[in-house]
Amino acid sequence: MGFLKQDNFKRDVFLGIVVWLFLLLFFFIVPSAGIHDIIQKVFILGLFAMSLNILIGYLGLIAFGHAAFFAAGAYTLGLFLQSNVVNILGSLSIPIAIISAIFVSTVLAAFIGAICIRLKDIYFSFLTLAFQMLIYSIILALVNITGGDQGLMGGFPKPPFLGIDLGKPFDFYAFTIFISIITIILLRQLIESPFGYGLRMIRDNPERPAALGFNNQRHKLIAFIIAGSIAGLAGSLQALLDVGAYPEWAFWAKSAEPLFMILLGGMHSFLGPIMGAFIFEMLNDFVTANTRYYGLVLGLVILSFVLGLRRGLLDWLLIKFYRK
Amino acid sequence: MKSINKYSRRKILKTTSAVAAAITLNSGFPAILKADNNIKIGVPTILSGRVAQLGISVNNALKMATDNFNSSGGLDGRNIELIVRDSRAKPDEAARVCRNFINSDKVDAIINAEASGASFAVQEVVRESGTLCLHTVSETSRLTADPSIRTWNAFRFSRQGIHDAVGSARYAATIIKEKGLKKWMSVNPDYAYGRDSDDTFFWALEKFSPGFEILGKGWPKIFQPDYTEVITQIAREKPDAIYTSLWGGDLVSFIDQAALYGIFKNTQLFAINLADYTTMSAVKNLPEGLHSATRYVAAWPDTDSNRNYDKSYTDLYGDHPTNWSWEASVGIDYLISAIRETGGTDNKKIAEYMKGKQKESFMGVGEGNTVTIRDNDQTIVDYSIGWGTTIPQDPFMNNIQAADWNTIAELEKEWLTDKGWL
Amino acid sequence: MEIFALFDCIISPACLISQTAGGLKIGMLLFLVASGLTLVFGVLGVINFAHGALYMLGAYFSWQVMAVTGHFGLAVICGAIGVGIFGLLFERLLINKVYNADLLVQILLCYSVILILDDLVMIIWGDEFLSGIGVPEVFQIPPLFIFDAIIPPFHIAIVVISMIVALLLWLIMTKTKFGKLVRATAVNPKMLEALGVNTNVIKAGVFMLGSFLAGLGGALAASLGSVVSGMGNSIIIESFIVTVIGGMGSIGGAFIASIIIGMARSFGAVAMPLFTDGIMFLIMVLVLIMKPEGLMGKKK
Repeated sequence: MGFLKQDNFKRDVFLGIVVWLFLLLFFFIVPSAGIHDIIQKVFILGLFAMSLNILIGYLGLIAFGHAAFFAAGAYTLGLFLQSNVVNILGSLSIPIAIISAIFVSTVLAAFIGAICIRLKDIYFSFLTLAFQMLIYSIILALVNITGGDQGLMGGFPKPPFLGIDLGKPFDFYAFTIFISIITIILLRQLIESPFGYGLRMIRDNPERPAALGFNNQRHKLIAFIIAGSIAGLAGSLQALLDVGAYPEWAFWAKSAEPLFMILLGGMHSFLGPIMGAFIFEMLNDFVTANTRYYGLVLGLVILSFVLGLRRGLLDWLLIKFYRK
Repeated sequence: MKSINKYSRRKILKTTSAVAAAITLNSGFPAILKADNNIKIGVPTILSGRVAQLGISVNNALKMATDNFNSSGGLDGRNIELIVRDSRAKPDEAARVCRNFINSDKVDAIINAEASGASFAVQEVVRESGTLCLHTVSETSRLTADPSIRTWNAFRFSRQGIHDAVGSARYAATIIKEKGLKKWMSVNPDYAYGRDSDDTFFWALEKFSPGFEILGKGWPKIFQPDYTEVITQIAREKPDAIYTSLWGGDLVSFIDQAALYGIFKNTQLFAINLADYTTMSAVKNLPEGLHSATRYVAAWPDTDSNRNYDKSYTDLYGDHPTNWSWEASVGIDYLISAIRETGGTDNKKIAEYMKGKQKESFMGVGEGNTVTIRDNDQTIVDYSIGWGTTIPQDPFMNNIQAADWNTIAELEKEWLTDKGWL
Repeated sequence: MEIFALFDCIISPACLISQTAGGLKIGMLLFLVASGLTLVFGVLGVINFAHGALYMLGAYFSWQVMAVTGHFGLAVICGAIGVGIFGLLFERLLINKVYNADLLVQILLCYSVILILDDLVMIIWGDEFLSGIGVPEVFQIPPLFIFDAIIPPFHIAIVVISMIVALLLWLIMTKTKFGKLVRATAVNPKMLEALGVNTNVIKAGVFMLGSFLAGLGGALAASLGSVVSGMGNSIIIESFIVTVIGGMGSIGGAFIASIIIGMARSFGAVAMPLFTDGIMFLIMVLVLIMKPEGLMGKKK
């Protein structure tokens, strides 16, 4: 079974490079740091939402504890860079910190996933929620390591590597978008591979792939682990951006955010969640600047999507203009 | 056009209809359309959810000062423009809002009115950017006490846990002497502030009045609706005294629920955060004789300038100032005089001006009613800390005793040495 | 972790009785709210995430009635009934549109209602928390002493009220025609419709009853503490835990699970004061792993 589908790979890479170069150019055309900030966050949160959509859109599993992996990535990166290891590793620190963050969230996802995928429907959702809240409680209780409710305080160093200094806005912008685009390209390969089609089959008709000799549970677990590791990557990028990590990132409300994004953008188109992240961030920026009743506005927007459009924006656009 | 717009804005806010207030809080969008000549101050704060009062009372206090400044001609015609934004108490939002202030709005200073967790996030942003920053809400000592967290461009105008703890313990020691309170318990919210408060209070109490016994400690969650499990423990252990740093609605719920058990008949309650107007007026049948620090009351410090402050605030907004209001007011006062004295908004000059600056203030208890921004840790000292007992009606407080800043300074030094922060 | 403290507590009658009584009170208040949640899920198959927001509305409604009339009993009853009526509107206007929709859609619909209500109550009743409606005068008397344990009479009243509600709920579900129809709707709504029963009415009725229970819980909570926007957000998570542990859709299970959670909180505060929430989630994880259908739920 091949995990990578070669056909569109070259095209995706080409498109990825074009988008990346365009956004780099954009940085200088529109020199507004506020807009750069939004773009970075769209990619970070977009990764987070896309990773969750592997489970929701392609497997039909409503995971409600996805922020656990986001937080795991963020805390791992933060604790790693706050430790003395940085003095030894020097310029290798950041790449290794990111890799460790992905590693830790992968292991955590393997553990939690192995237990959760045995359950179905709402029971699966509740178990993921319970694990996440357990991790949240642990983060709060381990004050000496995690800083408890105040999060990791006092910042951490960001030693430059390969000439990239993440302390500089442009470097951070370019790096974050680069990493995100690579991840998105790889994810696309995965989704278009036989493995990806297997996921859709399990979602639509779980008996059939099983009859074809598919191991459904193993498929689900692998998907869960991949989703967790990408969420961990997103968390580590967020931690780099904010130079810290906070327990709010492990709270259930954080898991609701990518659900909003998936709803807003659309769960049935590959780039839907990142579109959703874009809408979510624009909304966030616009609404908080204009009213303090953020919940009221966000609630009404979600309600109109749920009852009005009945699907995400990108899904809706594709159906309306493309697949008539 | 612009001035008409501004005038109507102010008028609407005075009507204080909540909906209108929501619209008028829009003071910074879109940034590009605003005249660039103004002195801009970014204020990240909490305007929504259950601690919305924090952001509202800070905003009120700042607006009162800047309106004065602007109507008296500003700095050579340059007005101060406040840009207040809601972080919804999320640290990453607070950081993002601050980065936007600095990079897009090009603010000249940040007045940070975030609670503790988000304040550390703000500190990291201004450490990288070098923007002038005035902390006006967080009471966590570590924000300025720990040298590894300090930065040259950040100043604290909010009260500090360790100062309060020493003041509290000193007062408690006098009551211990009077009434012989041996057995203690504590009830503190289970987050950094509550844990710090508990630690430092008993640490300081040990210095003034050693030999007490701690029967137990309760750690309710913040915003917990029901305190039964903690209160049953208190009712059982029958301590002579309880120390609590619960605040706001939580403290109200705790006192209401504990009163059902008749706890305050034989037990003295030392509630450091009780004496804020909103809190005291919310307690059902406020029991007489509870002990509290004077968070903010018009009756303390007992001076005309403090009563005038209370009056002008109350006249404008229909509500008394909160503890957060005075902190923001003192902060903006410093900033405005720094701008006037240095003739501009150069962050290095203003920082230099503020370091060690002694200044008259309605909250000041230093020589000539002054507060001081201490040179070494850029933290406010000599602000009023008083303790007294509650009475059910206005002015709500009785028998107020002032804390002694020499004692506070001495013990603070000892505490810093213990922590390895000196 | 003060395990010895727990041991000391269990062997001391005063501690054992007061913590048990406290746990019972926490549990019974929780049951009022959680029973509504589990009832709605059992019959309608909808996880009403907004149940905690209804609880908050109950507190605000009763506060408003108290402010106008000054009568405690009236305030609590009107608060509960008001939320029941609100629930009816909520079901007719929104919830019934997503009965057959994806779980995600249901969750997001309810979540949007939480966000909207949390802000609406601030717009209507102001930003600052309100002091509660207080305890009725009859109960403003000295607490009882049982083996040195102190028990406030009002807590006994709350436990008794909740027990009566539980009993009534049980009677309604097992002895009345409505109850039979409700149970039949849960099992096979199509069959009922074929028999000429309007299941829409039954569904709306069940949702109204569930909302009434949330409102009652909120109104009683308003007598014990402050009323504030967002106050439903912690009770909803605890109600989920109760629903899962008891078995989703099982009212009897919710009753037992509420008491378990009440005790876990009460004794957890003695043994591991810094990890009481963690204990609850740990119990939830263990139940879901070992017996996903819950203590009293039916195996699928």
